[in-house]
Amino acid sequence: MRTDWRERRHRWDIRYAPYAYIAPYFLLFAVFGLFPLLYTAWVSLHDRNLLDGDSATFVGLENYAQLLTADPYFWNAMGNTLSLWVLTTVPQIALALGIAQLLNRRIRTRTLFRMGVLLPNITSVAAVTIIFAQLFGRDFGLINWVLELFGAGRIDWQAGTASSHVAIATMVVWRWTGYHALIFLASMQAIPSSVYEAARLDGANSWQQFWRITVPMLRPQIIFSTVIATAGNMRLLAEPLLFNPGAAAATGGSDRQFQTAALYLYEQGFAKYDFGYASAIAWLLLVATVLITGLSYLAARRIRTD
Amino acid sequence: MTSVLDRSAPSAASPTPPKRRRRVAVVAGPWTYAALIAVLAGSAFPVYWSLVVSSQTPAAVDRVPPVLVPGGHLFANIARVFDTTDFALALMNSLVVAGTITVSVVFFSTLAGFAFAKLRFRGRSALMLLVVATQAVPTELGVIPLYMMMSDFGWAGEIHAVIVPGLVTAFGVFFMRQYFERAVPDELLEAGRMDGCSSLRLYWHVVLPAARPAAAVLGLFTFMQAWNDFFWPLVVLVPENPTVQTALSTLASGYTTDYTLVLTAATIGTVPVLLVFLLFGRQIVGGIMQGALKG
Amino acid sequence: MRRTTRAAVPLLGVGLLAASLVAGCGSGAAGGKTRITIGLFGNFGYQQLFEEYEKAHPDIDITDRTASYSDHHKNLAAHLATNNGAADIEAVDTGYINQFKTNPDRFVELDASRKDQWLDWKWEASLSKDGKQIGYGTDVGGLAICYRRDFLEQAGLPTERDQVSALWPTWEDFMAKGREFQAKAPAGVKWFDGGPSLLNAIVGQAPTGYYDRDDKIVVGSNTDIKRGWDLVAKGVADGLSAGLLYSTPAWNTGFKQGQFATVICPAWQMAKIKDQAPDTAGKWDLAAVPGGGGGNWGGSYLTVPKQGKNTEKAIELATWLTAPEQQAKVFASAGLLPSAPKLYSEQSVASKTDPFFNNAPVGKVFTDAAQALKPQYQGPKAGDVQTELGNAMLRVEQGKQGPEESWTQFVGDAEKLAK
Repeated sequence: MRTDWRERRHRWDIRYAPYAYIAPYFLLFAVFGLFPLLYTAWVSLHDRNLLDGDSATFVGLENYAQLLTADPYFWNAMGNTLSLWVLTTVPQIALALGIAQLLNRRIRTRTLFRMGVLLPNITSVAAVTIIFAQLFGRDFGLINWVLELFGAGRIDWQAGTASSHVAIATMVVWRWTGYHALIFLASMQAIPSSVYEAARLDGANSWQQFWRITVPMLRPQIIFSTVIATAGNMRLLAEPLLFNPGAAAATGGSDRQFQTAALYLYEQGFAKYDFGYASAIAWLLLVATVLITGLSYLAARRIRTD
Repeated sequence: MTSVLDRSAPSAASPTPPKRRRRVAVVAGPWTYAALIAVLAGSAFPVYWSLVVSSQTPAAVDRVPPVLVPGGHLFANIARVFDTTDFALALMNSLVVAGTITVSVVFFSTLAGFAFAKLRFRGRSALMLLVVATQAVPTELGVIPLYMMMSDFGWAGEIHAVIVPGLVTAFGVFFMRQYFERAVPDELLEAGRMDGCSSLRLYWHVVLPAARPAAAVLGLFTFMQAWNDFFWPLVVLVPENPTVQTALSTLASGYTTDYTLVLTAATIGTVPVLLVFLLFGRQIVGGIMQGALKG
Repeated sequence: MRRTTRAAVPLLGVGLLAASLVAGCGSGAAGGKTRITIGLFGNFGYQQLFEEYEKAHPDIDITDRTASYSDHHKNLAAHLATNNGAADIEAVDTGYINQFKTNPDRFVELDASRKDQWLDWKWEASLSKDGKQIGYGTDVGGLAICYRRDFLEQAGLPTERDQVSALWPTWEDFMAKGREFQAKAPAGVKWFDGGPSLLNAIVGQAPTGYYDRDDKIVVGSNTDIKRGWDLVAKGVADGLSAGLLYSTPAWNTGFKQGQFATVICPAWQMAKIKDQAPDTAGKWDLAAVPGGGGGNWGGSYLTVPKQGKNTEKAIELATWLTAPEQQAKVFASAGLLPSAPKLYSEQSVASKTDPFFNNAPVGKVFTDAAQALKPQYQGPKAGDVQTELGNAMLRVEQGKQGPEESWTQFVGDAEKLAK
C-alpha cells in the first residue's frame, strides 16, 4: 500500500514534475511576452494609426510588401543593424576570451581585477550613453581632444557612417565585455589541470593550448555568450537614440547613418504614429534576430570539441 | 542542441570531486599586469569621469583642455538632485523592483534550469530551443500591447507593471541550464534517485546548494539589469512615481543640458548597485574560484 | 541556520512582491484634495502660478510632470492610444498639435466662446477639421535675433541694437554681414549656430510653409523655401555656420562656449539662454529678425485628455493658466511671449526690458514681432517635415552631401510623409 503510493508518486514525479518546474517560465512568458507579440502580428496586418485604433483597416501583407520591396530606409536600418551586430559581438567575445585568459593566470589582487572588469556593467545604459556621447563630442569631447593632442584631426563622430558605428559599438563593447569575460573565466577555472599537463607533455605551447583546449572546453559558454550578445545587439535602441538626443533623435543621424531597425520601428511607431507599419517592422526584426541568433548558435557549435 | 546536452565535463566521470583542485595557473608576468591594468583603467575611466563631472559646476564642464580631477561641488550637486526630483522615492522604487525581480528570477531559473539540464521529459530539447528563441524576442517591441494589458489590470503608472513582466527571463533559464549541465554530476542525482529522493528534494538538497555560485552571479546580473532597465519603465511609469532611470531621464529633459546634474544623479543611482556589487561581488568572484564548478 | 536562509529567499521574494503591490498605489486624491496632474516639457514658467492657484483653491493639489520634449510627446501618444495614463492636463508643442488634432475625440472639447482671447491663427492651429478646439494656446514664438555684443565688437561691427538691426533688412544682407564678420571673427566663433535654425525662421516667415491649405505637401514647388535653402547652404559653404543642430546638447553647449555670434531668438529662446549659459549675462543683446519681421517658431498648447478623472477641474486650471493675466505673469518671469493680443499694448508687457540681454526692450521687440506675424497654415505632419529639413541641412553641414543632392532627398522624404 505504502510502496504503491510511493511508486505512483515516483512515476508522477518522473513524468510530470519537470513540466511543473518549467511551467512558471512559460506561463509568465505567454502572458507578458507572447501575447504582446501576437497582438503586434495582428496589428501588422492593418493600416492603423497609433492614436486612432477604431479606424484601422485590414490590409493583409501590404505593410510587409512595402517594407521589403519599396522602403530603402528599412534596408538601410537593417544594414546598420547587421553592421553594429558584427562590430559589437565579435570584439565582445574575442576581448572577453583574452581578458578571461589573462585573469586566469596566477595574479595578485585578482579580486580587484575581476571585479574591475565588471564595473562597466553596473552603470545604466542611460548614463553610459550620456557619458560617451559627451566623450565623443565633436567640439569639446575628450576623445577628439586626445586625437588632436597626437596630431590627428578631429572627427565628427555622429556625421560618418563608420565613425558613428564605431562610437556606438564602443559603448556596447565597453559595457558588456567584462561580463562575458567573467562567464568564460568561471569555466576556465573548471578545466582540469591534467588536460593541460598532458598537452604540455605533447609539446603544445600556450597558444596551441588556448586554441586546442581552452576554447573547445569553453564551448557551452561561448555559445551562451554569442547567443545572448547577438540577441541583445540585434535590437540596439537606447544607444543610437540617446547618442543623438533632440527632436531628430529617432532618425539616427542626418542621413539615418546609425538608425538601427529597432530605432526605425521606434520612429515609425512613436514619431510618426504608424502603428501598423511599426508592428510589421517589429516582426521582420524578430525574424531576422532569430535567424542571426540561430546562425551564430550553429557557428559557435562548430567549435571543435577536441 | 542535443550535442550540447550530451556533453559532460570530463571530470564528471568521477562522482566525488577532488577536495582541492590544483590548477595549472600560469604565473602572471609584467605584461599580464600591464594588460590588466590597461583593461582596468579602460573599465573605470568613464565611471571616474562621470564622478569628475558630478563634482564640478556647470561652467567647468566642456572646457578645453578638459577638467580631469574632481572638484568640490559634489555635495551641492547631490542636494540639487534631491531638490529637483523625488530621487528618494526613485531609489526606493528601484530597490523594490530590482530586489523582487532578482529573487524571483533566481528561484524560477534554477528550477527550470535544473529540469532542462538534468531531468528527462518529452519535448525537452524542443522546449529548450523555444527558450533560447524567446531570448531573441525583443520585449520593447511589444510595448503598446503590453501597455494596454497593464492599463486593463489597472497597473499603469504603478511599479508592479515593471516588476511582473521581469519575474522570469529566458536568459536566467538558459544560464542556469548551461551551468547545471556541468556543475551537477549525473551520478550524484542517480544516487539520490536510488535513495528514493523526489526530484524536488534533489533540487533542494543537491542542485540548489551546487547552484549557489552561479545563482549569485545570475542574481547580481539580474539585479543590475533590472536596476538599469530604461525603456519600459519610461513608458509605463509616470514621473511622480519614478525609478532611478526614469528620474534620470526627467533630469536630462528640458531646454537645457546640465551634465553636472544628470551625471550626479547617475552617480547616486549607481551607488546602490555598487554596494550590492561590492558586498556580493567578492563572494561571487570567490565562489567561482572555490571549485563550485567542479573541475 | 542554512535551512532557514534558504527558505527565507523565496519568502523574501513573496514579501517584496506583496510590499510592492501595497506601496505606491496612488490615487487621484491626496489628503482629501483633488490632485490635478499636468504634463509639461521644458520651462513653462508655471511654478509660481501653481502655488498661487493652490492657495486660492485649497481643495486642489497640482502635481507637474516634466519630461524631455521627445519623451513627453512619445508618452502622451502612448497614453492617448491606450486611453490610460495621461495627465489631467497635457501640454502639446506646435510641432505635434497638428498630429493630435486629427484625433479630437481623445480630448475634451474646450470652450469656443473664449476664442477672442487669442491671436486668430493661434486659435485656429489647434482647431480640428470638424471645428473642435482641443487646446488653449500658451505662448507663441515670435522671432528676433539674439547676438553677442562682444563678438560683434571684436569683428569691428556695430554693437548697438538699432544699428545692428539696420545691418540686415534681408536674409541676403544677413549673410553678407556674416562674411564680413567671419573675416575678422574671434577664433572659434561662427556667425550663426547652424543652418537648420536659420531655415526654420525663414520658412516660418513665408506666406506658405510646408503645406497648402488643402493639406498637400508643397515643399517641392515652394520657391520661398528653396530660396532660403540656397541662401543658407551658401552661408554654410562659406564657413559661417557652427554646424550645430538646434535642441541638441551640443547646441546647448554652444551657447555656453560662445561658438556663435547670432542665433534665432523666438521668445522662449531667451529663457533657454539664461538657463543654459548664465555666465554670459550682459553679453547678449536683441535685434530685429531679417526678412521684414513676422514668422513664428514654436509655442505650445494646454490640452485636457478625455480619459482624465477630473476633467472639469482640469479645464478650470487650464483656462486659468492660459488667461491673459497669467500669460502676462509668465512673460514677466520667464519671458515667454503671450498668445493673447490684448497684452501687446499693455504697459507692463510692452515696456519690459531684460538685464541679461543688456536691458534690451524685449517687450517691444517681441510684441512688434507678434503683431507683424503673418499666420502660416501648418499641415498635419509639419513637425516631421521640419525634422527632415533640419536633417537635410545637417547633411550639407557635415559634408555628407551637396546642397542639390540633399535638397532632392529632402523633397522625397517630405512627400513620402504624405502617404
